[in-house]
Amino acid sequence: MVDLARVQKELHECNRDVQVSGINVTLKGDSLTHLIGTIPGPIGTPYEGGTFKIDITLTDGYPFEPPKMKFATKVWHPNISSQSGAICLDILKDQWSPALTLKTALLSIQALLSAPEPDDPQDAVVAQQYLRDHQTFVGTARYWTETFAKTSTLAADEKIQKLVEMGFPEAQVRSTLEATGWDENMALEKLLSS
Amino acid sequence: MENGQENHEDIQIEEIPDEFQCCVCLELLYKPVVLGCGHIACFWCIFKAMNTWRESHCPICRHPYHHFPSFCRLMHSLLVKLYPLASARRVKQVEEEEKEVGYFSPEFADNLPVSRCKTDLVLDTASPHSVSSQKCGSAGEREHSSVDVSLDTVVPATSSSETNKDTMSKNLNFADEHASASEKQVLMTDLLCGICKLLLCQPVVLNCGHVYCENCVINPSDKLCRCPVCQLEHPNGYPNICLVLEHYLEEQFPELYAERKRASVGRSDRQIPSTRNQDEVAGCKPLPRFDLSAWLTGGGPQIHFGVGCDYCGMCPIVGERYKCKDCKEKIGFDLCEGCYKSSSKLPGRFNQQHTPEHQFELIQPLQVRNVVLRLQPERLEEDGSIDLLEYVEDSSVEPQHMEEDSSETNSPRDDLRDGQVGNISSSGTGGDQGGRESADRN
Repeated sequence: MVDLARVQKELHECNRDVQVSGINVTLKGDSLTHLIGTIPGPIGTPYEGGTFKIDITLTDGYPFEPPKMKFATKVWHPNISSQSGAICLDILKDQWSPALTLKTALLSIQALLSAPEPDDPQDAVVAQQYLRDHQTFVGTARYWTETFAKTSTLAADEKIQKLVEMGFPEAQVRSTLEATGWDENMALEKLLSS
Repeated sequence: MENGQENHEDIQIEEIPDEFQCCVCLELLYKPVVLGCGHIACFWCIFKAMNTWRESHCPICRHPYHHFPSFCRLMHSLLVKLYPLASARRVKQVEEEEKEVGYFSPEFADNLPVSRCKTDLVLDTASPHSVSSQKCGSAGEREHSSVDVSLDTVVPATSSSETNKDTMSKNLNFADEHASASEKQVLMTDLLCGICKLLLCQPVVLNCGHVYCENCVINPSDKLCRCPVCQLEHPNGYPNICLVLEHYLEEQFPELYAERKRASVGRSDRQIPSTRNQDEVAGCKPLPRFDLSAWLTGGGPQIHFGVGCDYCGMCPIVGERYKCKDCKEKIGFDLCEGCYKSSSKLPGRFNQQHTPEHQFELIQPLQVRNVVLRLQPERLEEDGSIDLLEYVEDSSVEPQHMEEDSSETNSPRDDLRDGQVGNISSSGTGGDQGGRESADRN
């Protein structure tokens, strides 16, 4: 049984100083066990300027078991799978402690972005590139950040506008776009099929 | 020290400062347990966070320990006093959880905090619709210590006779100011060291939950740290100072505490250096080793996974395990070899109604060969783990209580052991992800 009271407290605490930390946790649906965390890319890294979404699932044992976290935003990093978004971080595995919170875990992930551990990789391809051809790595990571982790409000508004003009209600358009990671075509498909 | 009572007019439940929040549940500490490293969490939070499979680690600093400490009455009564409303709410919460789970935390059987601070009462009357006699009544029932006791004992005549709500806020302010001096006196009597009878200085909390000045209880000559009240030895080296408690003392009694500290520094020069190397001083009971590979091959000490000693708190029990045959509680009553032989008469950790007349039986731990045979006979053939097979054939010793154990399917400890053991035999090497007991007990 997830300690829902604690999750609620954590959400409250975390969203209170979101201006300072930049770390935000919101509900994915109605349930308190599926959450979305967002972290800003650390300044001075190829991830700077990006906003990364992390999919959080709380297991029954939480907070005595670690939350399941994976990147929902595609990211090029030796310790994060470029395919699945799986994160290789000890505190999300055997080094979890019940005194850690969603916020501290997200902070650790943010720290992982600025300090990759290529010797303990999740994505071997990225790790090799990181070690052998650092320039290309930085370039790719920056490109991925530009492509996947940046949704300027302007672009978002345009996309919404476009779909609304096609005759879909705005609220539905917005939620569908959010669900598809702001991919216009996928959102359109989804809207048409719904 | 803001004691959260300034805000009583606006909110029903006091603000709890961070240091009195449990690091695990983020609520007010309830029946706080202080680990050897000096960090605090709720009784149930530590219980759930413990690894009954091998040694546990402090949630905050990862300091290893494997004795579940008794809860610290001194801290508990202090918190009840400082935050009566939040405490009452916690009592209710935890009571419900306990009823659901079927395990119970220890009650106050003795050592009632006799003196109550006045603000308890004032706050009670101030918020009649939130936490009134009803909740406090339930608190009182369980703890014999709660707020309604104060109604009988320390009723300040001025504020109790005053029930007019319009004048209540004024009255509260007045009472607060007025009470602060005497309240400090009351508080101080609760914060004395049991040995020197003075205000606690650099307080350490032993495994038994008793609090002493560091200099009073740590005796460098015999390298042992033994509680003078319950005679229990503190395991795993000397305890660290409980900083939360020290900060509270510092803020509450700045002058007195500074004076006490100066005096103790002078004394400690003659006694022990204040910076101690944990390894050096760990001359107490050595930590039993949790050698999983030894267990897998059947060698090494016996380890009773998922079972803790009810006297010293060792969990899992290493060595011989004695199980009470007469305790009916769901959680059972077990002792380690040392505690069984020491014939100490402490109450159980989970409020078991154990009496000295109860009979014990010696329990053999589950051993891997039997587990493999019993749970997954087909697995052996698949793997062809020959060495294990040979070992099984060699073994003539059968666990004595195997059958009884497995037949009590509703006993959570056995469920747990089966679960963990299943993990081991199926994963081969095993141990790291061995199921967490807390999940089962939740």
